[in-house]
Amino acid sequence: MPIGASDLRESGVGLNMGKINVITGRGGTGKSTFTALFARYIRAKPLLLIDLDPDESLAKMLGVNLEKEGKCTVSDALYEVMGKGKETKDVPDLLKRKMEEGRILYRDRKFDLITLGTKLAPGCYCLPDEMMKETLRNLNKNYEIVIVDSPAGLEHLNRKVTPDINDLFVVLDPSEKSAKHIERIKYVTRGVKIAYKNFYLVGNYRFTDEVETYLLKTGERYLGRIANDPLVRESNLKGESLFKIPEGSPSSISVKKILREAGYVLV
Amino acid sequence: MARKIVSTGRGGAGKSTFVALMSRYLKPPSLLVDLDPDLSLADMLGIDFQREGKRTIVEALYDAVKERQEGGSPLTPVEDRFKGFVWGDCLYEGKGFDILTLGTKDLEGCYCYPDHLLRKTISQLSKNYSNVVVDSPAGLEHLNRNIVSEVDDLFVVLDPSDKSLIHIQKIKAILKEVGTMYDHFYVLANYMFDEASERVFKETGENYLGKIAYDKKLEEYNLRGESLQKLPEDSPACRSVRAILEKAGLV
Repeated sequence: MPIGASDLRESGVGLNMGKINVITGRGGTGKSTFTALFARYIRAKPLLLIDLDPDESLAKMLGVNLEKEGKCTVSDALYEVMGKGKETKDVPDLLKRKMEEGRILYRDRKFDLITLGTKLAPGCYCLPDEMMKETLRNLNKNYEIVIVDSPAGLEHLNRKVTPDINDLFVVLDPSEKSAKHIERIKYVTRGVKIAYKNFYLVGNYRFTDEVETYLLKTGERYLGRIANDPLVRESNLKGESLFKIPEGSPSSISVKKILREAGYVLV
Repeated sequence: MARKIVSTGRGGAGKSTFVALMSRYLKPPSLLVDLDPDLSLADMLGIDFQREGKRTIVEALYDAVKERQEGGSPLTPVEDRFKGFVWGDCLYEGKGFDILTLGTKDLEGCYCYPDHLLRKTISQLSKNYSNVVVDSPAGLEHLNRNIVSEVDDLFVVLDPSDKSLIHIQKIKAILKEVGTMYDHFYVLANYMFDEASERVFKETGENYLGKIAYDKKLEEYNLRGESLQKLPEDSPACRSVRAILEKAGLV
């Protein structure tokens, strides 16, 4: 039977797919800070945020306490399902049910949020990531924009959770390692066949003019730097929401500027 | 048996800097193992693997697979072929320490298999060394893979944030579930700590060994990609690392 338009609509192909934007970078550069401020200032309704980092710090930076809200992470859900001795082949369906029961998807006024969470069993994050990939495939048609906050490093790219990326933002710290990191991202995305429309570099709060000139010989599109902001530092130290820092703070102003540079419409 | 030392922590905390500087003070010979696909500890120590004709674990694995596909005996398992590469191709021998590097993979999938090979390699090689020092990738996933299952000294390098407190708890939960044993669990502060944040971490009840001092020179070296082996012995970072290791009884 030929594939009809209704089938396509069903699968979401070509129709109103949420644009997937991925934030990545070396550890501690400020990926989650950028993601949280991105979420705060972007005009997108509805907006889905994905935290792919097992350290699961994004929720806190958004002022969300998942446990208190009665939500669980994808890894928790997986653990629960597997712990009941279910067969691996049934896991996707069982997880889907959990999703439908509203256990995994947290809904806020401005955004929805799904968190990968920490896995305690031996082995890798292939299965949790696969579940996340499946979830994203099912959900993304409901959103205008999806923002994915990555774990530090490169391994998540090898798992191709997001094969088609709209904007790929790489947050950099001022070191020679960042220059190598850019090369490695390209090496892995090419090898694994991850497609992206735009490849953007963002400098972190430790950048100086000198570093900018030094690192930007790469010829990549550089959007600017996230300004150093004591309020962000304090907020992160205390584990408070980045939605509470003033709109006129240096970090907010600089992130807005970066997003405008990338062509986003802001609130 | 070699003493097994693991340095871990959130990204950008300073794990590799700590390992690079630590290698000076440990009783030689040490085997340094770089588990991070994104960073070359060798680079930080001024060793150019390519120029030295050395290969990463991932590259050797690719070679082993390729050799088999291109007409090698189908009876020789990939793992055995790989083993043949380790000594000559992957192990860089330096003064006072040798290095193995995991390398970057560009095939779809995780690092379970390269990590598994590395686990075996480490246990085969470790009897030749006084210390095996593992520099971890950022984050937690490497812990799930239990690459060194009996650790003598586990160092967690912290950045001053609430996330570091959570990170410590997560590390412990994973180690427990995965069955990794450790004798000592140490936490240390990175160069970004001020006194107020140090106080917070001292009060956690963890075995806090002190802070890696801020070092202007070190920052410059890392920016320019210069060898940390050149950092003067009396620089603040070196002195503080030495003090930390003394507290841990490793110097």
